[in-house]
Amino acid sequence: MELTCAKNIIFEAAKAAGLTEYEIYYMSSSSLSAEALKDSLSGFSCGEGGGISLRCIVDGKMGYASTELFEQGELEDLVRRACDNARYIEKEDTAPIFAGSEHYATLDLPEFTPLTAAEAKAMTLDMQAQVYAAHKGVTDGTQSACISSGIEIYLCNSHGLELSNRIGLNGIYAMPIIKVGEESADGFAFSLCSDKEKVSTLAKKATEEAAAKIGAGSVASGKYNVVLAGSEMRSILSVFSSAFSAKNAQMGLSLLAGKEGQKIAADCVSITDDPMRAGAPVQTHFDGEGVATYKKDVVKDGVLNTLLYDLTCAAKAGVASTGNGMRGSYASQVGIAPFNFSICPGNLTEDELLAKAENGIYVTQVKGLHAGADATTGDFSIESEGFVIENGKKAGYVRSFTIAGNFFELLKSIDSIADTVDWGIPGGFTVFGSPAVLVRDMSVAGK
Amino acid sequence: MIDRRLAEEILGIALSGGGDFAEIYQELTQNGNVRMLDGKIEAIGDNVLSGVGIRTFVGTQTVYATTTDISREGLIRCAKSVAEAVGEVKGAVSLHLCERVFPNIHPVTTVPASADMKQKIDLVKLACNTAKDYHKSIVQVAGTLLTVDHSILVANSEGLYTTNRSIRTRMAVNAVASNGTENQSGSCSPGRSMGLEVFDLFCPEDIGTEAARQAVVNLNADYCPAGKMTVAIENGFGGVIFHEACGHSLEATSVAIGASQMAGKLGQMIANPKVTAIDDGTIPNAWGSVNIDDEGNPTQRNVLIENGVLKSYMIDRLGSRRMGLPMTGNSRRQGYDYEPTSRMTNTFIDNGPDKNEDIIASIEYGLYAKEMGGGSVNPLTGAFNFSVREGYIVRNGKICEAVRGASLIGTGSQILKDIDMVGQNLATGQGMCGSSSGSVPTDVGQPLIRVSEITVGGR
Repeated sequence: MELTCAKNIIFEAAKAAGLTEYEIYYMSSSSLSAEALKDSLSGFSCGEGGGISLRCIVDGKMGYASTELFEQGELEDLVRRACDNARYIEKEDTAPIFAGSEHYATLDLPEFTPLTAAEAKAMTLDMQAQVYAAHKGVTDGTQSACISSGIEIYLCNSHGLELSNRIGLNGIYAMPIIKVGEESADGFAFSLCSDKEKVSTLAKKATEEAAAKIGAGSVASGKYNVVLAGSEMRSILSVFSSAFSAKNAQMGLSLLAGKEGQKIAADCVSITDDPMRAGAPVQTHFDGEGVATYKKDVVKDGVLNTLLYDLTCAAKAGVASTGNGMRGSYASQVGIAPFNFSICPGNLTEDELLAKAENGIYVTQVKGLHAGADATTGDFSIESEGFVIENGKKAGYVRSFTIAGNFFELLKSIDSIADTVDWGIPGGFTVFGSPAVLVRDMSVAGK
Repeated sequence: MIDRRLAEEILGIALSGGGDFAEIYQELTQNGNVRMLDGKIEAIGDNVLSGVGIRTFVGTQTVYATTTDISREGLIRCAKSVAEAVGEVKGAVSLHLCERVFPNIHPVTTVPASADMKQKIDLVKLACNTAKDYHKSIVQVAGTLLTVDHSILVANSEGLYTTNRSIRTRMAVNAVASNGTENQSGSCSPGRSMGLEVFDLFCPEDIGTEAARQAVVNLNADYCPAGKMTVAIENGFGGVIFHEACGHSLEATSVAIGASQMAGKLGQMIANPKVTAIDDGTIPNAWGSVNIDDEGNPTQRNVLIENGVLKSYMIDRLGSRRMGLPMTGNSRRQGYDYEPTSRMTNTFIDNGPDKNEDIIASIEYGLYAKEMGGGSVNPLTGAFNFSVREGYIVRNGKICEAVRGASLIGTGSQILKDIDMVGQNLATGQGMCGSSSGSVPTDVGQPLIRVSEITVGGR
């Protein structure tokens, strides 16, 4: 069934049910991927799908329902289900369906051509061959993969607001396993094809990472100067990003509640959310409620400028929405999240940052953040790996230790920041980034 | 659901590119959730998922295609895309399917989708209100009642045509305690493969109380000291240690391609002789149970480790082809948009020879991990981590003050040898396990165990 037809069925049913405020949110996706093991393709997959949700206001309360079943009866039933659900909602301060912002930016999206099956297969096999060629210890279990994914988003509501966007990503992975004697170690490297990073460079990066881990040592428990690589600091930022949600603050679930205008981080720390970051693979000019998005300094020189707001939380706080109402998928209800969220770069190169640390640990991998970090309390205690820093230089690899602390204390104890933001892989509309940061006196548990 | 004749046609087309096996997986799922926050029902989720995944094999190469267009034309297009990805398309293969009915060993009496919404709301309110009233320091409570009604069809070119319906219900309560400057949280989230009758087994008040109790304990706790210690890990969700430290490394997903520390170790002594570990998808109404796996095989009880000796892996169809070993009923996927792979169901360390009181009494100085959080593992090296949600220092054989913010790290091969005492109070806990085939419900479990030495991450 065509989207226009589905929309008409739902809108007609909504009108017939006496609704005056309602909105549909539709997402469709088309993707393919290829994987290689040893010297041949091990798997190929492709998929097409779409889903639609309706949200509507009944007696001031918001009801939601969604489906992937595009049949007339099911779409009509969507209206009944959303209305029924609304009747049981007790939350009273829900913002109305949005009539639209005055202005929406025009996106300057990078060109996107989905990979063909043949291209994906060829790139994957090339990657795999380059990985095997990059290091003599590369062994069975080594995998390479290539993905191509396109997503279309469409929002339309009873005020006549109609918005659409698209996301397109082509990416390639290398996941080598290196065996030396009885010891095995793995590496990982990913690149968006648009980054123009050469397959050979990626293969080298991944195999070097794996090779460095062979013969890893351990560290003694204690306090260390720690340099967190950009890739790891952004992971930590992602786990604690929910603390910047105004909803969590209003509900007592964030320790940033009531801190707007106050110092929450070291002077050198600024954090921005830039939904339309030039060149970013995911850019969006409207949020999940149809509000125009814009770039904002969430933290500027250590001061919390603003939390992230959707319409409901903004109305409650007496401010304007920051355009951060997020719907991660068509089935998600409106939540709050950032788009392109990053710690701003400082002015030291990564080598200068290591030199400044003098002696300590350069953490290049943190693991199990979903379990070892708590956004409500800020506490974290996480398994880590990385390099010893000796006399300001990267030395031997170490693993089987944890770093522990509290995110809100960590923000205050950042000493210096490197000059290059390392952006992650997009998850829905959100991408996190960070340069490497130097933190002094961090608790480490090891041998 | 796709009828038998259409399934035959679709499979025939999927095989037309030269595949030696084809399979259809169809899903129709109704996910419901009722969420309470700040004393009010704030959201009701009501999502229908519907789609099909078609897969073919050529030896150990797979092609998988998915679609939400379940019209005949949509399915034929999807099957053709599979055939074309395999090789030169020839004529459709003719085959005959025979319907199989597997016994339902997880009966449900109150189907959540048919139950009155008010009944569900009252259950969530009871849990949340009990948590809020537990102590004056409880400042916020979030509670969710999750219900899943999941129907699948599996048909394959070996003649199988079968359907299954599984229903799951889970209540999750998170409580936050605060002293004005610090927050601490606690949670409790039991579930079963049952309908709303699950609340005859555990009552909402107990769920709310447990979440709030943990939050208050943690608010009054100091940070856990760091270093190597003897650790006693309590039963129930404590079993996450086996799940992470060993379970993932026994899945064919990593074993079959040589990316597991446990590859090639069948028949070897890999654990302390006191350790017997089992994966059992047949436990009636358990959270990780299903009648059939997502390739249409009945689930079974698999002894993974018996008295320290590795007896079995968990193997799906692709793993079976790669390893030359039989399938074990462990193929699972979140839904149609994930290609299935070998996963755990209900995995636990069985009761052992030691008395629980002797375990605590044996520790001169160490950590008692009463409640565990989640964790993760690298199956290649076996390096794992998981968080301690509620912990206490043990001194001279006595459980003393509470400590917070601890994590445990180690490697699977080492900890299996270091589990040197196994108690007798086996219980399970519920989790959602994430891996390449998505998020699936799994039970973890164990009795109280002692690990002679492990790195405790703290401050």
